[in-house]
Amino acid sequence: MNMKTGPEDTALDDPKRFTASRQVLAVDWFMTVFIRLGGVGVIVTVVGIFFFILSQVVPLFQGANVDEVSRGEAPSLPQGNYIGLATDEWSELPLVVREDGRVYFIDLRGQRGVVEKAPEWLQGGKVSAIEIDHGAQVIAMGTDGGKIHLIRFEYEPEFVDEVRTVKESLSEEYQGMVEAGKPVKLIAMGQSERVRVIGTVSGEGGSQSLEVKILKRKRSLMGVGKWKEVEQGDLSGELPAADKIQKILVSNRGDALIVVADSGRVSYFFRGDEGFKIRQHFAPFEDMPGRKIITTGFLLGDVSLVFVADDGSNRVFSLFRSEADPVRKFYHTKTLKSLGAAADYYASSSRNKAFLLGAGKHASLRFSTSEEIRWSEDLPWKVQLGAISGKYDALLFLDDAGRLHKYQLDDPHPEAGLKAFFGKVWYEGAPEPKYEWQSTGGSDDFEPKFSLVPLIFGSVKGTCYAMLFAVPIALFGALYTSEFLHPRHKIFIKPVMEIMASLPSVVLGFMAALWLAPLIEDKVPSLLLVMIFVPAGAFALGWLWGSRPMYIRKWIPQGLEFLYFMPVLIALGWLGWILGPHLEQVIFTVTDPQTGKSVGDFSQWWPKVTGTSFQQRNSMVVGFMMGFTVIPIVFTIAEDALSNVPAALRSGSLAMGASRWQTAWRIVLPTASAGIFSALMVGLGRAVGETMIVVMATGNTPIMEWNIFSGMRTLSANIAVELPEAPHHSTLYRTLFLGAFVLFLLTFLVNTIAELLRQHLRERYKTV
Amino acid sequence: MNLAKLEPIAMQKENVESLSNTASLSSALLERKNQAPGRPDYIKVSNFSFNYVPAVRVLHNITMDIPEKQVTAFIGPSGCGKTTLLRNFNRMNDLIDGVSQEGKIYVNDQDIYDRDLEVISLRKRIGMVFQKSNPFPKSIYENVVYSLRVSGQKNKEVLDEVAEKSLRSAALWDETKDRLQDSALGLSGGQMQRLCIARAIANRPEILLMDEPCSALDPIATAKIEELISELKQSFTVVIVTHNMQQATRVSDRAAYFYLGKLIEMDDTTQLFSNPSQKETEDYISGRFG
Ligand SMILES: Nc1ncnc2c1ncn2[C@@H]1O[C@H](COP(=O)(O)OP(=O)(O)OP(=O)(O)O)[C@@H](O)[C@H]1O
Ligand SMILES: [Mg+2]
Repeated sequence: MNMKTGPEDTALDDPKRFTASRQVLAVDWFMTVFIRLGGVGVIVTVVGIFFFILSQVVPLFQGANVDEVSRGEAPSLPQGNYIGLATDEWSELPLVVREDGRVYFIDLRGQRGVVEKAPEWLQGGKVSAIEIDHGAQVIAMGTDGGKIHLIRFEYEPEFVDEVRTVKESLSEEYQGMVEAGKPVKLIAMGQSERVRVIGTVSGEGGSQSLEVKILKRKRSLMGVGKWKEVEQGDLSGELPAADKIQKILVSNRGDALIVVADSGRVSYFFRGDEGFKIRQHFAPFEDMPGRKIITTGFLLGDVSLVFVADDGSNRVFSLFRSEADPVRKFYHTKTLKSLGAAADYYASSSRNKAFLLGAGKHASLRFSTSEEIRWSEDLPWKVQLGAISGKYDALLFLDDAGRLHKYQLDDPHPEAGLKAFFGKVWYEGAPEPKYEWQSTGGSDDFEPKFSLVPLIFGSVKGTCYAMLFAVPIALFGALYTSEFLHPRHKIFIKPVMEIMASLPSVVLGFMAALWLAPLIEDKVPSLLLVMIFVPAGAFALGWLWGSRPMYIRKWIPQGLEFLYFMPVLIALGWLGWILGPHLEQVIFTVTDPQTGKSVGDFSQWWPKVTGTSFQQRNSMVVGFMMGFTVIPIVFTIAEDALSNVPAALRSGSLAMGASRWQTAWRIVLPTASAGIFSALMVGLGRAVGETMIVVMATGNTPIMEWNIFSGMRTLSANIAVELPEAPHHSTLYRTLFLGAFVLFLLTFLVNTIAELLRQHLRERYKTV
Repeated sequence: MNLAKLEPIAMQKENVESLSNTASLSSALLERKNQAPGRPDYIKVSNFSFNYVPAVRVLHNITMDIPEKQVTAFIGPSGCGKTTLLRNFNRMNDLIDGVSQEGKIYVNDQDIYDRDLEVISLRKRIGMVFQKSNPFPKSIYENVVYSLRVSGQKNKEVLDEVAEKSLRSAALWDETKDRLQDSALGLSGGQMQRLCIARAIANRPEILLMDEPCSALDPIATAKIEELISELKQSFTVVIVTHNMQQATRVSDRAAYFYLGKLIEMDDTTQLFSNPSQKETEDYISGRFG
């Protein structure tokens, strides 16, 4: 093929013109690799964030990890029958009590072995009843000689070269006698700051007597005085004599005495101003004929009772005021899995609502709130006594051969779990199970409540109100701008929207809380009227104008109608604003309780009529302000999508004799539907994730009601509010991550569904 | 395709009538079928000039008469302003920002740039097939009945009937009768063009403006469209833009040759092609142009 026509063409006939130059190939290769790397980088980052959050969340759902601490040979105790086990805060120096009243401290660090404390107060008697109160650090003993001893055990940490050693000490705090000197069968003790209540059961069979002693101590400048018996009483008369008492308990405030009888009946005495009075009788296993209660114990806080029946059935009863009964009583709240056999020992945690049960070799660590078994195992030996350490980080077991075993307990988040986060939970003191978020409380035995449901609800609620306000305005605005507004005026819209979008949400939230909320608090009827008048006016004007003949309509150029109608609409809005208070006087009236006169007040009328609250910082304020941030986003994307509809379609429709509105509604809107959908989704994403406005403009109360005049707490606001309070790696900390994770999943889910729908729409309305 | 096939639509007269905003004009529409040819200046263009952007004139002082119930062909080299003029007849150029025009265009003695004129009813009387086919992203069926829908026609039978007749007229019925509810965007380029023709004739406009309707069609479809045009002129006024000289001679009664925005010559088609009065025209039609 000779294309040469002459020698002057040789410069153009450069043979290289058919080869791609090396530079082009290099740039091409580089860009390919670069873009690919970038893409992979983005994916890796997103997946990385996902896994990081996941790694923070996973421990919440793990059970307890329990391992024996091996220290070679366990120090073995002298022969004998051991009846009590208690431990110090670090579970380094637990103590056991032998039947003869001797107390043995066992140094688990292996330095001092077993230390015996032979008490001088117990002269030859035999301990026939014992209770150890960890909180008060008191061992209450009753002897077969009818004596009562309260012995205080104390642990004193000493730091030598930053190494901690624990020093133990024992002292007798009180000594007393039961009424007739009969052998003490059962003893229970509870104490508050000033009052200590001791309950005893003494005597045999028919002649058992139930006594209570109330001790008090004085506080003076010299310090606290000694405990003195101030009162004592016999409650035997309150109970059927034939029913053998099997267990008694006194609550830590000393205001409740629980008596469990062999018949399966539980009696609850309440101490009021006139001493103990019977308040309630109940039978925990009423519905299971023939079941006897074997074990009874308080949970931390002493408002819940754990019962185990002789077949291992395990129930929890809690004290609360039911709707029907204003007096606090015990009601069945929880049922845990059966232990399988009668429990031999019971120990509760002083950190949380966990308790330890065991039958023979089987041990089971349970959590009352979640009704879950945190850990269970068949141990190699029969257990005599068990205890949970004060820090909830160790389990102690005394086997029947007199050896003490220490188990490391690793269960940082016993209160967590799917049910706690997403299910209705029956918390102590509540009359029914519910979704509740409350991470911190006043008292030590406060139980954090971690239901994410109110937060998810709050997010949905806030988003809904914001979208409800923003979407119509943004979409109709975009439709108007792209289809009806004169191009000359379009250029003003974009910058205005950009300014709107660039306002920091802190500023908006600040404005919402301090300016908008107080402003509209007493202007609800006015707002209501404005929201009716302006759109209705716009529709009416549009209809009126559209149905005028051309010789009238020609006086206003197409696309400029809004300039002429705006004053009318503003006047209508103003009218609504002015008429609002009058409307309030007519419709939203309540009778003033003081004067008996009828006054117009929406903020009182609303709670009266709907039964829901009216708050100043409410969802309406959030809706307005969050809508304000959503509008520019939705508007811009939707406007782009509408403007990108090919002009050929528009002219095709108009050429068919369609009006501009028909063209916009029937052709442009459906064709742009995919883009409009994206706009809505991006707006939704913005609203769901919005934090500052919600934090500032609502009361952040995690309630679950759709009421527009109350606030909400969203997932994102929750993170912002709680994070400063959350200790590193605590349950709260991880729960906040879980909240973030749920938010992540929520947006992921919404985005995925949206993307699928969008693809579908795009496929359907794709243009040539 | 013969006239008998069009009869049923004619019998739907009342329906068609009720659709039109300008009842006076449309009622006459179908009755005129076998009357003598209508007025010779049905569309009257007088001294019409047009600018897309100020100072750049695209049409210069056009004066022409387009006769009623005849086919008029616009020919001329690319960019000479055929489409621009055509789009002025139904005021589609209003949509473009910054245009300006001088002179007058009358349709049936009505000044179409009169500010009192309702442009929607003008467009309802004038059907248009665009140079680039532009089916709506809707089903084939909805595309065809669009003009009836926007006029508020809800009667399913009427819609079905009109859809079938229009598709038959546009030689598309056989290919689409089983997939009327499928998206129009699944059609081939030529099918789309015929769909646009079916859409344009669905509500039986008085004037049909066709901008290169056959540019994407094969000879068979082209023949069918040409047949359709010949039929349509019995009752409608047709203006067609074409680059195909044979087509112009086959279908049109009158032809106008444009060059650089000027009307060079307008005459009966046979006259213009056999014996053009202007040198430019002769050069163009004999292929010596450029
Ligand atoms: N929307 C527009 N804005 C500005 N100029 C335009 C526009 N549309 C067309 N023109 C110009 O007007 C002139 C006439 O265009 P027109 O489309 O009428 O030509 P035509 O005769 O239809 O050509 P063709 O046969 O290629 O379709 C051309 O020079 C074109 O560049
Ligand atoms: Mg053209």
